[in-house]
Amino acid sequence: MKAARKTESLKPLKKIDVSFLITVLALLSYGLIMVFSASSASAHYEYNDALYFVKRQLAWALIGIVIMLTVSRIPYKTVYKYAIHLMVISVILLILVPIIGIEVKGAKRWLGFGSFSFQPSEIAKFAIIVFLARSLSVNGDALQTFTKGFLPYVFITVSLAVLVFIEPHLSGAIVIVLTGFVVLLVAGAKLSHFAAIGIPALGVAAIAMISAPYRMARVTSFFDPFKDSSGAGFQIIQSLYAIGSGGFFGLGLGQSRQKYLYLPESHNDFIFPIICEELGFVGALLVVVLFGILLWKGINIAVHAPDKFSRLTVIGIMGLIAIQVVINIAVVTSSIPATGMPLPFFSYGGTSLVFILAEMGVVLSISRECEK
Amino acid sequence: MNNRTLFSNRVLFLFIGAISVMILLLVRVAWIQIVDGGEYKTSAALQQTKDIAISSKRGTIYDRNMKELATSASAETVTASPREVKASGDINDISTELSAILGMDKDKVYGILAKDSSYEVVKRKIDKDQADAIREKGFAGITLVEDNKRYYPGGTLASHVIGFVGMDNQGLAGIEMIYENYLKGLPGRIITAKNAAGTNMPFKYEKYIDPQNGINVVLTIDEVIQRKVEDALKKAVENYQVENGASCIIMEAKTGEILAMATYPTFDLNSPFSIANEEIMETINEFEDEEERKQAETEALNKQWRNKAVVDSYEPGSTFKAMVAAMALEENIVTLNENFVCNGSVHVDTYDIGCWNRNGHGTETFVQGVYNSCNPVFMSIGERLGTSRFYKYYKAFGFGETTGFDLPGEAPGLFHSMDRFNVVELATASFGQGFTVTPLQLITAYSAITNDGYMVKPHLIKSLVDNKGNVIENFEPQVIRQVISTDTANTVCKILEGVASDGTSKNAYIDGYHIAGKTGTSEKTPRGSGKYVASFVGFAPADDPELICLVMLDEPMGASYMGGAIAAPTFKEIMTDVLIYRQIENDSTLEYNFVPKVENEKLADAKQLLENSGFKYQILGDGETVISQMPVVGTALGNNAIVILYTESTEAEKVVVPDLHGYFASDANQILVNNGLNMKVVGKESMGRTVLVGTQDPPAGTEVVKGTVVSVEYNYTENVH
Repeated sequence: MKAARKTESLKPLKKIDVSFLITVLALLSYGLIMVFSASSASAHYEYNDALYFVKRQLAWALIGIVIMLTVSRIPYKTVYKYAIHLMVISVILLILVPIIGIEVKGAKRWLGFGSFSFQPSEIAKFAIIVFLARSLSVNGDALQTFTKGFLPYVFITVSLAVLVFIEPHLSGAIVIVLTGFVVLLVAGAKLSHFAAIGIPALGVAAIAMISAPYRMARVTSFFDPFKDSSGAGFQIIQSLYAIGSGGFFGLGLGQSRQKYLYLPESHNDFIFPIICEELGFVGALLVVVLFGILLWKGINIAVHAPDKFSRLTVIGIMGLIAIQVVINIAVVTSSIPATGMPLPFFSYGGTSLVFILAEMGVVLSISRECEK
Repeated sequence: MNNRTLFSNRVLFLFIGAISVMILLLVRVAWIQIVDGGEYKTSAALQQTKDIAISSKRGTIYDRNMKELATSASAETVTASPREVKASGDINDISTELSAILGMDKDKVYGILAKDSSYEVVKRKIDKDQADAIREKGFAGITLVEDNKRYYPGGTLASHVIGFVGMDNQGLAGIEMIYENYLKGLPGRIITAKNAAGTNMPFKYEKYIDPQNGINVVLTIDEVIQRKVEDALKKAVENYQVENGASCIIMEAKTGEILAMATYPTFDLNSPFSIANEEIMETINEFEDEEERKQAETEALNKQWRNKAVVDSYEPGSTFKAMVAAMALEENIVTLNENFVCNGSVHVDTYDIGCWNRNGHGTETFVQGVYNSCNPVFMSIGERLGTSRFYKYYKAFGFGETTGFDLPGEAPGLFHSMDRFNVVELATASFGQGFTVTPLQLITAYSAITNDGYMVKPHLIKSLVDNKGNVIENFEPQVIRQVISTDTANTVCKILEGVASDGTSKNAYIDGYHIAGKTGTSEKTPRGSGKYVASFVGFAPADDPELICLVMLDEPMGASYMGGAIAAPTFKEIMTDVLIYRQIENDSTLEYNFVPKVENEKLADAKQLLENSGFKYQILGDGETVISQMPVVGTALGNNAIVILYTESTEAEKVVVPDLHGYFASDANQILVNNGLNMKVVGKESMGRTVLVGTQDPPAGTEVVKGTVVSVEYNYTENVH
């Protein structure tokens, strides 16, 4: 047994899906360029150094690439092995956040100290995927029953989401719930079961909305952003100004005017409007096309993945990316009420980038085992 | 369906779902960018840019010889971006230093700089020194913007005609106001990018739209004549104690071009909002109540700005008799030699209406009646005309309506309503009382007489000229209508010339010129107030009139209030120089005499010799015999020159030669005579055609012996009309 294990580890690694890797790197490069352009103005005014943000983002991207490549060399079975541990760690960290978390803008979402800090919700997003994937791969048939299978999985997912929600971090909670549902859906859960919990869920959403005044303001300002152009609607109006100014071909790379302190968070959650302003519809189309390719490549890996766990894991990760992309673009185009959602690969933020790249490493690792 | 197929189906379903949502979002982006794009772009541009207007250079106002009367020079305006000032953190220091440079209150400057805005004006139109000081300091958030400041080189010259501008260079009065649309030009803009904090961007200007300069206006006013008129009015107001101001218009008889239009007292166009009259200022300052003071100030300013020639109407009095004479001759209801009898008054209805001469003029012809300005003669004529014919001509001469002149506030004048215009009113109207006219209306009416019956439209603008000197529009003379026949007009001219040489207007007679004109004296209402308007309207040459001049003195309180006694001499004073300046034919010949030899003669003999030769003399010393004379024997001098006779061998008395440059011939001569010096014209020797003194010898400032002959040479300006 021991010898067999050794030979297994010694035999040469199979090839990763290079086209998936190239798509990831393309998104990452595009993202870095746009972070540079979008952050240069606020970096200039705040730090008197136009490169302040992009230098950091670049460093994190390099770290992320190393981690991604490293993870891609680790057999995905290792992930399977530690999936439960990861879930437990996530829960512990999430419980710690309200106690020892770092408060930023009225919400405790961060753990750590100084420049080394991360959002446990990022871990939780990954943990729910691998936890559900492992559990369902072992115990998949139970999912067909409502009370003994479907409902407990939904309960676990929602419980984890609630821990994120109380930080408060609504968008993180939404992402966890939706990602969990994607995994349950592709694992074969009955559609009637989803319908059965859909109606009570809407009630919960309504309560969540009403319970926090700032969320209510976002909703009302969504319906009429110009009514309160200096308050809650301000960011959305500035976002629309940026997108609208771009036209078809945009003002040219680096030519955004809205980034000059008009559009807050222009290198974070609101980086997409800056892309639209500078590169126009063409730039926006390129973003969507790249994500489309990434999803297609990911699904291709999932479909050819060796077992149920790997299949569910890849789809979960792809779902996680897609959900965030859709919500982010929907928010900045004022298609849904505002909520803080980063655009994967684009928005500034070191740890979240590292997590995304690590997750891409998992996908790449699985791609080695695909039936060719 | 096995698990694997279910999985693939659901993945495909999710993928299609995700892609569909992304496509919908792309459609949404396209919608925002292409359909709503223009609107968002505009709103974004509005918030992203700072739009600063650059004032255009206001057009220049020239006199007819292209002398600048109103011109714009660049000045700078201090503007601030309070947000930038605050961002610099030096707001206290900046307001202290800036207020010191600008001479403003520190708190006021601080108040401006503390505002929550990105554009404020701190002070407009500052001096160059101040601008340089600010430039040198380079305060954060303080910018200097080019602006234009209006200068009036003539100061008080033609102030009521030119008008003035307000803080924003907008015309507020006179030509500046009426021709605002031409003068102002089109302001340019600087559009700069700004960030959300209102501070400047890390890069430079984005767009600069050039201002379009205003169009220049060339007036018909002649600066030289205007100046002469204003000087003469000032003198008249002082000499005759004129209480309510004076006015004078000189018009080209054939074209209607106004050569001069003056109201006295005048005010400095460079500070139109300060009250020029110190006495009035003092009374205003005595008001305790702020509101009353303000009101008094406004009233005083409005009076100061009032252009009497156009805005004030008055009873024309006898000056209107020229019109009545023209009516009578035109209607053939009188012959020139027809006899009238004046008993000093006429009984009309229930009134006795008197002649100015209560003793009566006795028997006189119609022409003599005009010479005597005899009221009963005109009352008779008026009676023959009847009210409707009188009113027809009154309207035909342009009274009762505005002339459509180029200045604001023109009055139409008042007349009886027709149902109350009966015999008594007709009788008084026949000698110019009971209704009012403006000086401008009256001089326009006279143009019908001087211009073969054709009345011309008075106007102030010769042309509009753009910056490169291209004429945009020329204003040609316009005939309003023929009022009387050419024969009638010429007859009236002849009669009026007689008035000036033999009649009541003798004081207007100018040697060598055929002057025609009519005096006027009217008592202001209420009658018996002792307030009069003295006026004179005259033209020259009588046989072919070139110029018409109207002088109006409102409320003279001196020794005389009669038009003939005070308005006619003022007319003469003005026209003597103007006729020479305009090179109008003069048929008098100036006599030249040679200074006789009086040296070594007895004083009495010397006096006799000089008197015989038409010279004046001044004796210095107490001796009996003339030791020497100045100028020496044989010098050719005009016949008012002074010969200084020295009777003792004392040192010759010395005087400093005054500066004669720019004076009219007669003025220059008067100045020299007052200084005990003599004048001799060299070069083109023709007194009748000379204009202004150009050079002189010896030059101004030289100390010379009394009686020295100063040679002057005239500048002959181009014939400009």
